[in-house]
Amino acid sequence: MMRRSTAWIIFLVCTTVLGVLFIWPLSRVLGGGFFENGHFTLRYLVGVFENPIYAEGLRNSVLLGLGTTGLAVLIGLPLAWIASRYDFPGKSLLAGLLLVPMILPPFVGAIGFQQILGQYGVLNAALGLGPVDWLGDGRYVGVVVLQALSLYPILYLNASAALANVDPAMEEAAANLGASGFRTFRRITLPLIMPGLFAGGTIIFIWSFTELGTPLIMNYGRCAPVQVYDALKEIGTDPFPYALVFVMLVCSVGLYAGSKLIFGRQAYAMQSKAAVVSAARRVTGMRALPVMLPFLVVIAIALLPHIAVVFTSLAQPGSWYRSVLPQAFTTANYAEALGHAMTVGSIRNSLLFSSCAVLVNLVLGIAIAFVVVRSTLRFRGVLDALAMIPLAVPGLVMAFGYLALSSLFSNTPWVKANPAWLYVLDVRVNPTLFLVIAYAVRRLPYMVRAAVAGLQQTSVTLEESAANLGASPLTVVRRITLPLITANLIAGTLLAFAFSMLEVSDSLMLAQRMDYYPITKTIYELFQLIGTGKYVASALGVWAMAFLAVTILGSSLLLGKKLGALFRV
Amino acid sequence: MARGVRPAAGTRRVASAVSSWYKALAMAVSIHFENVSKRFGETRAVDAVSLRIEPGELFFLLGPSGCGKTTLLRCLAGFYTPDEGAIRIGERDVTRLAPHVRDTGMVFQSYALWPHLTVQQNVAFGLEMRKLGREEIDRRVGQALELVRMADRARHKPNQLSGGQQQRVALARALVIRPQCLLLDEPLSNLDAKLRLEMRGEIRRICKESGLTALYVTHDQKEALSIADRLAVMESGQLRQLGTPREVYLRPASRFVATFIGETNCLEGRVTGRAAGRMQIQTSVGQLESAASPLPSLPDGAPVVVSIRPEVIQFSAPPAGSLNVLHGLVHDSMYLGEVAQHQIQLAVPHDPVAVHWIAIDLNPRIMARDRVEPARIWVAPEDVVVLSP
Repeated sequence: MMRRSTAWIIFLVCTTVLGVLFIWPLSRVLGGGFFENGHFTLRYLVGVFENPIYAEGLRNSVLLGLGTTGLAVLIGLPLAWIASRYDFPGKSLLAGLLLVPMILPPFVGAIGFQQILGQYGVLNAALGLGPVDWLGDGRYVGVVVLQALSLYPILYLNASAALANVDPAMEEAAANLGASGFRTFRRITLPLIMPGLFAGGTIIFIWSFTELGTPLIMNYGRCAPVQVYDALKEIGTDPFPYALVFVMLVCSVGLYAGSKLIFGRQAYAMQSKAAVVSAARRVTGMRALPVMLPFLVVIAIALLPHIAVVFTSLAQPGSWYRSVLPQAFTTANYAEALGHAMTVGSIRNSLLFSSCAVLVNLVLGIAIAFVVVRSTLRFRGVLDALAMIPLAVPGLVMAFGYLALSSLFSNTPWVKANPAWLYVLDVRVNPTLFLVIAYAVRRLPYMVRAAVAGLQQTSVTLEESAANLGASPLTVVRRITLPLITANLIAGTLLAFAFSMLEVSDSLMLAQRMDYYPITKTIYELFQLIGTGKYVASALGVWAMAFLAVTILGSSLLLGKKLGALFRV
Repeated sequence: MARGVRPAAGTRRVASAVSSWYKALAMAVSIHFENVSKRFGETRAVDAVSLRIEPGELFFLLGPSGCGKTTLLRCLAGFYTPDEGAIRIGERDVTRLAPHVRDTGMVFQSYALWPHLTVQQNVAFGLEMRKLGREEIDRRVGQALELVRMADRARHKPNQLSGGQQQRVALARALVIRPQCLLLDEPLSNLDAKLRLEMRGEIRRICKESGLTALYVTHDQKEALSIADRLAVMESGQLRQLGTPREVYLRPASRFVATFIGETNCLEGRVTGRAAGRMQIQTSVGQLESAASPLPSLPDGAPVVVSIRPEVIQFSAPPAGSLNVLHGLVHDSMYLGEVAQHQIQLAVPHDPVAVHWIAIDLNPRIMARDRVEPARIWVAPEDVVVLSP
């Protein structure tokens, strides 16, 4: 246990840091839509709902979120159920492959997706059809499918964890009283795993509700995030985007708080450990086939966009058109991607931004976890919540907050008098500071969860015995505690790093000069170039994919089955 | 535990409720296990067990953890399918039936009350599965909760109940469907000692009044001895002994049963003679005479084990002509209120290995605390049980 005074100091420092880096920008967003010349007004908030374009954008975004979440449940829940019920050959391999779609931001997958389903894409070529547009008129279905195919692993992980927590006796009791398998699932199992499902569903909803990259690339303009992005040029003058962002924030935090309120209190802690360890039934040979088939189908479909991205990256520009496979292959795209001034710089930028952000995370995460787990402060829950709320705040909202802060700083008389500070404080000159902060704050929950899990698994007596033998508190942390939770910290670091490298919203909005583009913004900019753009963008996407595959694989090896714990609200 | 099981008046009310409730019920059924085996990998959890439980009997499976008793119960409930053998409930072969069509009512060790449903909804579940009408369900749930005295908690969630209350709801949930037989899997192991005592009486009363055939699994011999009609002691997947509590306690068939059920003092010896239904055994503490040998045909010189329960050791003056009189030193005494437990080191004439016995002395006269007391003890031949080694 920590000394009270130490705990208080860390608590106050962490709370202050989060207050400045997270709450302050957030409040700028909240305020921006409500003040006009210093006077409070609801005009813009009302205006968002009265303006038919904004109202439609919001409605479409909600529908995107609902559709994506629903589809992700349809994909992830049955798979999690099968995995909890049956053991079959190659199960761990298939379950691992199921998580692969997470390694690619959906907006990169969108490039491959269009290649397959577009008017002149693979599907039409394979079926010998004319230019049928499978993505549909409004592109809504395309965005939903694409997002669901990359986000379902979050639901799968949550559902699996929840199912593993259900005492098998709960289901046996239902069978004993005459309930068939399906009725047992509907009446007993499903209600019991609802908190877990809702936790995963909430993250997916917030993610897809505020996702900017996929709708942009799929050219689905009539949704709120894209509208906010398009309104970027009006920053500082037009309060409408602020009001729109405020509405999105309220929706996200409301959903998050609601799920906490409904399920947090009655998280069905099982009253006793199960008497029977596992209910998984072993199936082998031909009988394993129907059990494996859903896994194979989902993996194949989910990986299609990624495979298409790989093929695009290898295709001679312009050669993959109305054909099943590219007509001509080349590695020139990779050469061009790595030779392009924009890409080399962007890889360096992303590595720099993400590394700095992870460092910030590591220090903050460990400090917060220590206060949360190892102190008895009454308010430690506040700090815990404060560190977790970024999960519920859309990246777009945060980006907007940092933009507002930046414009506030660069317009102060002091900075005007010392223009050198613009290099630090004005994103239009150099976004490094704000991008690092944005990456760090948004990935902090993963780091905190990882560190908290590690500390909870490490008995206090190990630290007490070191103290008893004469080690000072700092020595105990350095020599005993940190080595014991290293695996958790590495896993948290890798995840935070990987997701920082993938970050879309902040990157697109905050990086405004080509010298400071991170990878994601570069991919987007390359994609928009006429001619070779799509192919070079894919090459860069493949590079990012390979990089993230290695990091996620590493963290899942380190964390084992506990990987799912990082995605719980 | 807010409300225990208290007055006799309440008990009588419950008893009448049960009997009226089960009046319409068909005859109780028997349960047959025929040569049932169940393997998990290399382990034989249940090994060729044959057993017939009579209609209306409260039957106990007793044994240490890992002996296969829960596996056997779960085979009957249908959660495991036996690798060999058959199981019949009444005339119906249920060996390969799915659990949900077997019509057994089971009380789980963890109670397995569904935390998202109220007490009322938990108990109603089985009736809903049987597609009864709403009114009928409400009526029977009310009766069942009345029966276990939980009617006033119908709207509570399970996590608002104490352990004993949860246990009674679990019992009501199993009974309300009027099952063919009642299965109890260590139902009292999560309760504190006092409550366990009250609930086991309650369970026997409910079983007897309802006339249900019940199979009760436990590792607690006190539970089994106090309320079982008959019991079976299991070890390593096999039945070691079958009988009424008295038979099994007084005439254990093996050293394992003797030591597992109750405490006992065991001593190796050899048969030296037989006369008038009595057997003489030479042991290191001297000659002992037994009138309780389940092994009548042993030849002279055969090695045996003698089992003497701590409470049969007498400290009073032996009757004239008594044979089993022994001398020793009381080394330590533990005062337990109504009894004292003595550690006795017996005088061993020709053997360097000392023999220590435990004796229970009702209304104790001697106490050895920080000093050694000499003692003369004797054992009636009826209480000297001869076992094969």
